[in-house]
Amino acid sequence: MSSGSQQQHRRPSPSTSASPQQPSQNTTEEVDDELFFGARAPVLMIPDLFTHPPPVRDPLVTGTSQAQDGTVEACLPFLDGEDDAVAYNEHGVPGLDRERHIRFLHQSLGRLPGRFVAADASRPWFLYWCLSAMAMLGEDVTSYREAVIQTARSMQNEEGGFGGGGRQLSHMATSYAIVLSLALVGGEEAYEVVDRKAMWKWLCSLKQPDGGFQVCLGGEEDIRGAYCGAVIISLLRLPLDLTPESPAYKEDGSANLLTGVADYVRRCQTFEGGISGQPNAEAHGAYAFCALGCLALLDHPSRSIQSYLDVPRLVAWLSSRQYAPEGGFSGRTNKLVDGCYSHWVGGCFPLIEACLNSSGGNGGDAADATTTTTKTTTRLPPAEDSLFSREGLIRYILCCCQDQTKRGGLRDKPGKMSDAYHSCYVLSGLSSAQHQWELDEPDETEGPAASVLGLADPVWAVLPYLDGPQVFDNGDRVRPIHPVYAIPQQQVRAVKEYFSGKKGFC
Amino acid sequence: MAALQRELYGGGVGKEGRLAGDSEWDDVSPIVVVEPEKALAAITYTQDYAEAMSYLRAVMQAKEYSPRCLRLTEHIIGMNPAHYTVWLYRAANVFALKLPILDEMAWLNRIALGNLKNYQIWHHRHLLVENYFPSIASDPAAVSAFAASEREFLAKMLAEDTKNYHVWSYRSYLVGKLGLFSDPDELRAIDAMITEDVRNNSAWSHRFFLVFSDPSASTPGTPATAADPAVPEAVVDRELAYAREKIALAPQNQSGWNYLRGVLVKGGRKLASVEDFAAGFVTGLVEGAEDEDVRSTHALDLLAEIYAEKGDRGRADLSLRRLGQKWDRIRVGYWEWRRKCLEVGA
Repeated sequence: MSSGSQQQHRRPSPSTSASPQQPSQNTTEEVDDELFFGARAPVLMIPDLFTHPPPVRDPLVTGTSQAQDGTVEACLPFLDGEDDAVAYNEHGVPGLDRERHIRFLHQSLGRLPGRFVAADASRPWFLYWCLSAMAMLGEDVTSYREAVIQTARSMQNEEGGFGGGGRQLSHMATSYAIVLSLALVGGEEAYEVVDRKAMWKWLCSLKQPDGGFQVCLGGEEDIRGAYCGAVIISLLRLPLDLTPESPAYKEDGSANLLTGVADYVRRCQTFEGGISGQPNAEAHGAYAFCALGCLALLDHPSRSIQSYLDVPRLVAWLSSRQYAPEGGFSGRTNKLVDGCYSHWVGGCFPLIEACLNSSGGNGGDAADATTTTTKTTTRLPPAEDSLFSREGLIRYILCCCQDQTKRGGLRDKPGKMSDAYHSCYVLSGLSSAQHQWELDEPDETEGPAASVLGLADPVWAVLPYLDGPQVFDNGDRVRPIHPVYAIPQQQVRAVKEYFSGKKGFC
Repeated sequence: MAALQRELYGGGVGKEGRLAGDSEWDDVSPIVVVEPEKALAAITYTQDYAEAMSYLRAVMQAKEYSPRCLRLTEHIIGMNPAHYTVWLYRAANVFALKLPILDEMAWLNRIALGNLKNYQIWHHRHLLVENYFPSIASDPAAVSAFAASEREFLAKMLAEDTKNYHVWSYRSYLVGKLGLFSDPDELRAIDAMITEDVRNNSAWSHRFFLVFSDPSASTPGTPATAADPAVPEAVVDRELAYAREKIALAPQNQSGWNYLRGVLVKGGRKLASVEDFAAGFVTGLVEGAEDEDVRSTHALDLLAEIYAEKGDRGRADLSLRRLGQKWDRIRVGYWEWRRKCLEVGA
């Protein structure tokens, strides 16, 4: 990052005032001590929205309000730009400490001490989290290619899919993480690690008659399964046919790997408008992303999201996740902000925008008329401006989510330890707040039948987001990632191209 | 019986924690996994853990289901409760050995209380209930007794963490499985939690499920945000009154408002039917004055919808503007979008 520009924007302090840069121009400031020292705050452009409790608060004290008050109290000192040990820009926002975060991520991929034993079944996640975070920070991850290949091979099962470690049962989440990690390092040898035929058979064995996927054989069925499954199928360009052994197989051939997935997702929308992990549970941010990501893979979001979800309620719920003064997102109603929801909730907005901003499918009847839907009859307006406060989220991330000790890495909130999971998803959220995505219009000539996953491949275009105040320094813009696959777009393209060129499973 | 119990639960494995050299395991050749040279995020396992896992791989490969395997899974779960492969293998042992499900439940309760955030425990419990329920399904007294013991256990878990997502998800599964929708004890338990913390959104969500997904008083498959004519009017009235009473305690609590709105939609009622109630939390809203008093931004949000519903676009727009300008500024982008919704009549 450009540390030079950051220095320039640093709040005047006694030490810099003494510097003999341009003495003649500084005269008035030097004589006016009161202006200089007493009115430091006005020098930093921090809206009071981020430095004061919200205007409406209830006097009733409960466990929830105590936790919320405690969080605001913990965040305010990081948001008000008054820590002398921290270098702020003119907006009172510290820079992104790339070097330390990258070092933290490299370490997290190295040998882990014994206390990490609880992660024994989720090592593939460490690969994805760290590599994805490094890629966003601009670090070259191809140096990890051979290591990822070896690690992935050691976790693949003959029956298809990848487990959390050697000789562990294959799991949807760990397979998703491995496939994305292989895509991140890229190259034929990495792609060829995946036994696609076995993967396809295994996915068929997880597919359920109600449309969803189990996360592993005999494991639970939830919306993670639907999202991870859709990602794996589309990236690897797997056939959609079901094996006769699949629980969802129908003799008349009317069911395939994606049949009923969208309906399963629809059943997870709750009365609040958000999405739950399984039907009938509470709306939760992580599952909202899984739901929208899954729908965005099934068809153009202007058709799939609009057809299967109550969009006005969903947007209301997503928007309610952002709090002030913290600026960050919470995962559920009346829960606390957490940096990871910068991605799980923040990452929903590009998909919602793609849904609203298409002139074609939005509210139209392009959606499959044979499905049970909650179609909106009136057209919703496009989201021309941001539906959430990008400034708020970026402030929360840069001020509250960076571990400012030697350790580096990103975290849930002040007072929590940084970890690989939060590093990845906080940076993903930062990336999505710093960029603007636009999706091509849906192809109206091909009906929805032709645009099912694997055939339709809409093109996303990305630009830096430049509207409104930019509170971070240009050098702190991280790289964009694909709004659905959550890895850089060129890696998505490369892996899809590779497998598109394949005939069958050879 | 006690000896058998020890054989299955709490008996441990190996001699002083070591399996090698213990005659009980002599017939098993442990399978050691050698990590590739460049393995990423490789964990430096303790010797005990590494050894136990190597024996586990061997018995899993041999598809052995036996008391010693059950004890081995207990041993490993004690060291790492977040290992889905071990849990599924444990379940397979329980079922293959036809162990009394309630014994396994009792063991699981102890593990669960020490591992609040754990995922696998709840799926294990789910599998146990799936297996156990058919044996009591035709006996209402047994179902009721089982529901009561589960409720007691859930109360203990929720006392530790009132919004634990896994616990609540399991609870909704249990309600569906055991048909507890119209069970007054279930509704009472949830009411008690809302009384204790009116902002507990998990409890509110569960209540909505209990009331509006009851198969005897709802249309299966109706989306959660759609009206359902099968819901009795009296139920809608009761729930509206409940929500209003709770909102009055803490008007800025979004849980109550989300519930209120959800009930109105479910009951096919006009939002305007609560206009007077919502208006009680907003005073002095006048175009150009900008000196209104707002005790609940959620009331103002609902009022904006109510005005739009009644065709009063000017007042709806004013409400949304004031939310974005003063009362809920972090969401100004959303409020502005809602203003555009007014223009297109969405």
